[in-house]
Amino acid sequence: MASLESEATREIECIRRAQRGESEAFGPLVERYQQRIFAIVFHLVRRRDEVEDLAQEIFFKAFRAIRSYNFQSSFATWLSRIAVNHCYDYLRKVRASRITYYWEMTEESARELERNVESPQPRGLDHGEKLRLRDFVGRLLARAPADDRVILTLKELEDFSVEEIAELLNLKSSTVKVRLHRARKRMLEDLERWRQEGK
Amino acid sequence: MNCQAMRELVSDLEGGELSAEAREHVSKCAACRELLRDARVMQAGFRALAEEAVPEASFGFASRVIRRLHEWQEQGARQEFFETVGRRFVYATLALTLALLLSLVLPTSGPVRGVAGADFLGLQVESQSSQPDVIGGDLGDSHDWIPARQPE
Repeated sequence: MASLESEATREIECIRRAQRGESEAFGPLVERYQQRIFAIVFHLVRRRDEVEDLAQEIFFKAFRAIRSYNFQSSFATWLSRIAVNHCYDYLRKVRASRITYYWEMTEESARELERNVESPQPRGLDHGEKLRLRDFVGRLLARAPADDRVILTLKELEDFSVEEIAELLNLKSSTVKVRLHRARKRMLEDLERWRQEGK
Repeated sequence: MNCQAMRELVSDLEGGELSAEAREHVSKCAACRELLRDARVMQAGFRALAEEAVPEASFGFASRVIRRLHEWQEQGARQEFFETVGRRFVYATLALTLALLLSLVLPTSGPVRGVAGADFLGLQVESQSSQPDVIGGDLGDSHDWIPARQPE
């Protein structure tokens, strides 16, 4: 408990020093939150080779904006918000090409996978199936509009609560719920379209 | 339950169980069965995506960020210096230009400065010859604000 408190105090001290322009004081903050930022970036962007560059840009941006941090929300939330916004801008710039839509799975193996998934405990999927499923849903997610992708990623992959997402995106919880519902629905429709197009 | 209601329900399923009513509808409707299967595929896909290992920051990541911040700060300081100097230079040039323009324009615009303007235009000699200065003498400057007396 005391250790947590001292850690929080140290963090506040680092933030205050960084706000005075001491870039050295920002180092411990980078070390503390780098993995969190890496996770957000990776889940949102899904390009391993881009993650580190984007994370660096996010920390750079955060340092430049740190004077605007007013301790109202936690530093983690404030930083995550910058990360989400940065990735959102990135996603809007680099929209996935339509080529990524096509799934390299045969119709037969897709059906088999679906049958396995249909069971209430899809944990029973073997490694190969999981990989294919991951690839497939990853591709569907990649072609979703940036808004849908951000909100679905935060909910489904980052496991944020509706309230946390609302805080991150500066939205009302009710708005987040509606957007989540619409995003899921759109992805399902996209999956249906894919099926109707016969792949 | 109809298909539309089922569609709304499936979008928010999040891995939960279907109600008895929904199960009954699904058992009779092939389209909704397919929809439900799609939803399960998506849920399982999201879980698989969430389980994927996140790349770790490479060694020295934080140090590189700090180095970049240092460079930016130094560059920023240099830039600020040049901006300040540059800005002052521009202001000074503007002020000089304005002063020059005023010296060209203002002399002809008023009765008091009319003479100065005339001086500037080389008409001073004529002015002096017609109105000798009582203070400065014949060769002195003219001072129009002192009423000139007629020589006795």
